[in-house]
Amino acid sequence: MLLQAIINGILLGAVYGTIGIGFSLVWGVMNIINLAHGSFIMIGAYLSYTFYKAYGIDPFLSIPIVMLILFLIGYVIQRFLLNLVVRGSIFITLTFTFGLQILIANICLLIWKADFRSINLPYSGVSMSLGGVIIPVIRFGVFIIAVILTILFYLFMKRTKVGLAISATAQNYEGARVVGVDVKNIYSITMGVSAALAGVSGALIIPIMSINPFIGGPLIGKAFVISVLGGLGSTVGALAGGLVLALVETIGTTIIPSSFQNLLGFVVLVLVLVFMPQGLFGKRSYNE
Amino acid sequence: MNKKLIILIILIVLFIGFPFVLSGFWVRLVTNIFMFAILASALNIISGFAGYAAFGNMVFFGVGAYTVAVLMNKLGLSFISSFIFSGLVSILLALLLGMLLLRLKGHYFALATLGAAEAIKYIIDNLTDLTGGGQGITIPSLHGSPFFVNSVFYFLMFVLLIVIVAFTWWLSKSRLGYALKAIRANEEAAGVMGINTTVYKITAWTLSGLFTGLAGAVYAYWFSYIDPPTVFNVMWVVRMFVIILLGGAGTVFGPLIGAFILESLSELIWSQFLNLHLGILGTIIIITVLLIPNGIVSLLKTDRGLKGIIENIKKSRTGAL
Repeated sequence: MLLQAIINGILLGAVYGTIGIGFSLVWGVMNIINLAHGSFIMIGAYLSYTFYKAYGIDPFLSIPIVMLILFLIGYVIQRFLLNLVVRGSIFITLTFTFGLQILIANICLLIWKADFRSINLPYSGVSMSLGGVIIPVIRFGVFIIAVILTILFYLFMKRTKVGLAISATAQNYEGARVVGVDVKNIYSITMGVSAALAGVSGALIIPIMSINPFIGGPLIGKAFVISVLGGLGSTVGALAGGLVLALVETIGTTIIPSSFQNLLGFVVLVLVLVFMPQGLFGKRSYNE
Repeated sequence: MNKKLIILIILIVLFIGFPFVLSGFWVRLVTNIFMFAILASALNIISGFAGYAAFGNMVFFGVGAYTVAVLMNKLGLSFISSFIFSGLVSILLALLLGMLLLRLKGHYFALATLGAAEAIKYIIDNLTDLTGGGQGITIPSLHGSPFFVNSVFYFLMFVLLIVIVAFTWWLSKSRLGYALKAIRANEEAAGVMGINTTVYKITAWTLSGLFTGLAGAVYAYWFSYIDPPTVFNVMWVVRMFVIILLGGAGTVFGPLIGAFILESLSELIWSQFLNLHLGILGTIIIITVLLIPNGIVSLLKTDRGLKGIIENIKKSRTGAL
């Protein structure tokens, strides 16, 4: 029972990790809490849903298209809107991204209606058994893809010129500008990459849970907890934060009544913020 | 100065006369505008003056509302004594949360207040015996003719609004107000100058929480039914922030002007389009932040007509790359 919960937690944790990586990327690089990140995840999930329902494309195969579309959405929003206020005060960016979040929620409501949507794949009942622990194939696939994308993202940040430029901008944007980094463009790419990661998270969520246009809020709550737990540090921190949250959730369901789980999550969030503001793993700034 | 005072007195007299002339719909609409003006003015104390983004400020609204609800429903207390109690509870909560959270800054403070608000929401949600839990709780409603009931709540909110505006006006000229502005400008420097930043910040948030809680108390009695998702909804705070930005942060009358614009727009125009309600609000938020982050009053301070306003819009934009 406990072992099963741990396995479930690890499988789910990788998805939470991708949520955390995308969210803390924008926070770390631009010092914005993007309250619309949950909406980006939601768009990804809806796109994946539509590709499956309308064209019969398997959600695992449509991930590249979903990522591309979300990248463009993120890039355009940053380039033409957010770049105009990105260095403003916290109220400005928080309020702005919240406005974006409810606007996107409303658009999704008009397109996909208020019903809960989910994908029931033909192989959704298939599972592997490993020493008494049951691993559904879908959840395993979701886990593998989340892990692969995390590794790819890590390599992107460490090995490519754009990734290094993003890190440089995060550390010192004036300095980056002086050495010839086009900050406007880098910010837009950062938001695009973050949105693409959100899109993947959405595409990975839709085969395992159902969504509606109002799920952006609860998802952003999870993103808070993950990035605060992991600290704003590295990809690894966000992944670890995702794992911790998923494990707490899955093991928690076997021990604590569900009505107290939400309470527990937020109490942990506040306590970590107050007593360990660098997260459980203690990193101070982005990608140092 | 005298001219302003005369305008203010005329406005107050006009608003006193309102419920006797207008129909119930309009009286309730103006009561609602008053309520948002109170909430925004209260948030203005901690966010506008001191620069701390208290994104969880609806916690005081919810706790104020629930204090009245529980005391009236379970203990059968009168509204007046429940109202006073809810003020005390709000003060106590703000002191506790302030001591815990006001050591954080920036985004961390915003997130922590949001997390604390959510946690308290779930606590109230789980105390089913006391608060009715997710079922919500009813409050014995005020008996009398519709005119009487509408007028009572109108004047309750009106008096509360006058108190908080008078207080903010005093604040803008007081030692406390200057200290808060200094903290907003540069907290470390303010500390070095000998301002006890911790005490001032906690004072500001306590006052903010007190007024927010009292507004929640009146709201509970007014609506006579509340549940956790409604009174602890983060949308309350978002509206407060939009109102402050529209009217002008850190000013005395900004929150009033912002509340008047946003809430009358909300009631009269976009409540007609239920499907687009959120989208229109989102668009208003985005436009407000992009074009008038310093408030409408700051834009109108020009003698060059439309051209001057456009120049002001360009000047006021903050945080562009």
